[in-house]
Amino acid sequence: MSVFSEAAVSPRRRRTDRLMRVALVAATILALIPLVLVIYYLLKEGLGSINKAFFTQDPSGSFFGAVGGVRSAILGSLEIVLLATLISVPIGIGVALFLTEYGKDSKFANVVRYFVDVMTGVPSIVFGLFIYISLVLTHVGGNFTAWKASVALALLMLPIVIRSSEVVLLLVPASLREGALALGAPRWQVIFRVVLPSARTGLVTGSLLAVARGMGETAPLLFTTAGAAGLTFSLSGQMNALPLQIYNDILSPRAAVVAQAWAAGLTLVAIVLILNLVARAVSRRSRMA
Amino acid sequence: MKETRHQFREDLKELEQQVLGGLDLVTGQLDRALESVSYQDVELAAMVVADDDRIDGRYLEVHQGILSMLARQAPVAGDLRIVAALLHVIRCIERMGDQCVNIAKLVPLSGHESPKDKDILDAVDRMGQLARSQVSQAREALGSRNVDLARDLARQDEEINRLNREIFRRAVEVGDDLDLREWAMYMILVARCLERIGDNTVDIAEQVVFVVTGLFREMDPTATPETIRAP
Amino acid sequence: MIPPDTTSKEPSQMSTAREQSEQAEATPDRSGSVESRPGRGIKVRGLNAYYGKQHAIKGVDIDFPANQVTAIIGPSGSGKSTVVRCINRMHEEIPGARADGSVTLDESDVYAPDVDVTAVRRVIGMVFQKPNPFPTMSIYDNVAAGLRLTGTKPHNLRETVNTTLRAVGLWDEVKDRLNEPGVGLSGGQQQRLCIARTVAVSPEVILMDEPCSALDPIATLKVEELIDELKARYTIVIVTHNMQQAARVADSTVFMLDGEVIEHAPTNDLFTKPKDERTERYVTGKFG
Repeated sequence: MSVFSEAAVSPRRRRTDRLMRVALVAATILALIPLVLVIYYLLKEGLGSINKAFFTQDPSGSFFGAVGGVRSAILGSLEIVLLATLISVPIGIGVALFLTEYGKDSKFANVVRYFVDVMTGVPSIVFGLFIYISLVLTHVGGNFTAWKASVALALLMLPIVIRSSEVVLLLVPASLREGALALGAPRWQVIFRVVLPSARTGLVTGSLLAVARGMGETAPLLFTTAGAAGLTFSLSGQMNALPLQIYNDILSPRAAVVAQAWAAGLTLVAIVLILNLVARAVSRRSRMA
Repeated sequence: MKETRHQFREDLKELEQQVLGGLDLVTGQLDRALESVSYQDVELAAMVVADDDRIDGRYLEVHQGILSMLARQAPVAGDLRIVAALLHVIRCIERMGDQCVNIAKLVPLSGHESPKDKDILDAVDRMGQLARSQVSQAREALGSRNVDLARDLARQDEEINRLNREIFRRAVEVGDDLDLREWAMYMILVARCLERIGDNTVDIAEQVVFVVTGLFREMDPTATPETIRAP
Repeated sequence: MIPPDTTSKEPSQMSTAREQSEQAEATPDRSGSVESRPGRGIKVRGLNAYYGKQHAIKGVDIDFPANQVTAIIGPSGSGKSTVVRCINRMHEEIPGARADGSVTLDESDVYAPDVDVTAVRRVIGMVFQKPNPFPTMSIYDNVAAGLRLTGTKPHNLRETVNTTLRAVGLWDEVKDRLNEPGVGLSGGQQQRLCIARTVAVSPEVILMDEPCSALDPIATLKVEELIDELKARYTIVIVTHNMQQAARVADSTVFMLDGEVIEHAPTNDLFTKPKDERTERYVTGKFG
């Protein structure tokens, strides 16, 4: 009897091992099914409506005649979310920097962390309502405006950015900070020239996650910008957005409009997909730089 | 729980025991060499010459042990001083062994029935006893790391040197008898060997002081006890 | 056990000759080295350091002579790393840690109330146990990092970087790949890169906290040779738990135990005839 056969694991344990593998693979497949189904249905229902007009025309909104496209919705979404990103990402990373570099384990920092955790759980409609009550009803700078939608989305995105950024910043090894400090660098230089560049990919990925979330939220848009069919660029007026468009169209009696809603949904997923691919490309390029 | 570097300490103790054993071998050789001179015992003298191989062998063993210890254990501080001292001492032992052989080789040459001078014989006897006691004392000083005992050896060595000079003087004045003169010459050589043995024990004493204090001082046998002891 | 060394003052041929040769060893011949200039020494007086309530360094006095390598040895927890971190005030970066006492470079006390900590660290550089080149920077940028981070602008940055790389013996190995990431080098090369980064800002003193612990034996020897060359221009303090390294590299050695200095002597003396029983026990490995 060889040494190895003596040391081998019992057949029962080997069976359990195999069972485990099968179970885990099954669970993975189970989890993938809805995802695959969603993409399948989006493609099935929406692909037909994708044509040139879809991207170049605004929704006509009429009950008869041409359906138009969703151009204003796409551009509107992009613009609103862009502003929301510009608000939430710098502030979010700033808060994360405070938590990791200055606050660390202090009482204040822990309180901040707690509140951020709470904010991640707040339903998006609450943010919409908050902005509605504080900005829309008070008629600050107009009634229903796109920039208020951005603010609402920013509030939504902020805790996501903070949380993911903090995790990534904590992963930056202390030895790097030490090395920079020991050279005689002031702390803000350490942060901007060493810590942030090292965490860059993680920060970008975290922000893109927040952006993807922001692109898809409907409730805050309802209370703040309410949607307008026509193409607008001004943030101080009402603006269309993809989730709003889908919301409006999906209940329409016209089949072509419903089909367009599916297509809009497909477009939304595609945008998020593109964002993720961009994030990956950024991370790969920075690693090879 | 064993103390750290247990094997190293054991090996070092073993090495030291081998060196001390070498000193015992020298004592044995010296005894027999002196006896062979006193009784003109040619056979005993031949034994002394043959037995020197054991001392040479001991030298090689200790030398190898020290090299091995230096290479593998990197001794420092007190350990390093002991190792360095042991290397020095085993060479002294080898030289003392050679001196015993030289004495033994002179026995058949001095002839069985040759005339002898009582004074010279007494002096040589006395030198032999002193040399023997010095070797013992050196062994004791090294084994117990006794600095006072070591320093005392330098003083004792003064006596051997004095006897050596005296034997030389007596030999010069010994008379006209050719055989007597020839015998006296051989006695001078024997005395010389014994004096060398004495010097080697002083070398060993210097090493003992070095091991204990970390300082190396040449011990001048012509100095008085007071100056030697002064810090 | 060992009587005080008062005998060495007596005129005796052997000891004078040996003392003379030891003297020659202690003051290195700086005339032949490239651009040597006298550095500045450090004096530590009454240094106490705490981690919260724990009193880690208990009233320590040490002199670090200019242009010499001083090693600090001792068992784990003896406080050797802490002492060194107090010299360039990195100790206080740890939450809850503080220190008091005086650490003077020439006449300037590092702990004086109006002193700018970043200036201290520019003048007293540090190399760490695990090589830590900045991962997002190239080799060139890493060497230049110290200069850029502290806002110092030399007339010719490229030349400074190249000279520094030459000074640490890395030039031949990296001259064709200066733009490659710093983390792509081997461990030993990375550590020399970190030394270059530290040296580029022209400090007076270089502190090294177990710089070779993470390196293989050959890389270690290269770094040790570098240290030997560097001491012509800088004062070097090296913390090491490798006694053989201290024996090879240091002009004088400090032995610490439980936050106190037990013995501080020329390396040769400390390793052949230490004065304190505790030093002897540590150095010969009799420590339990």
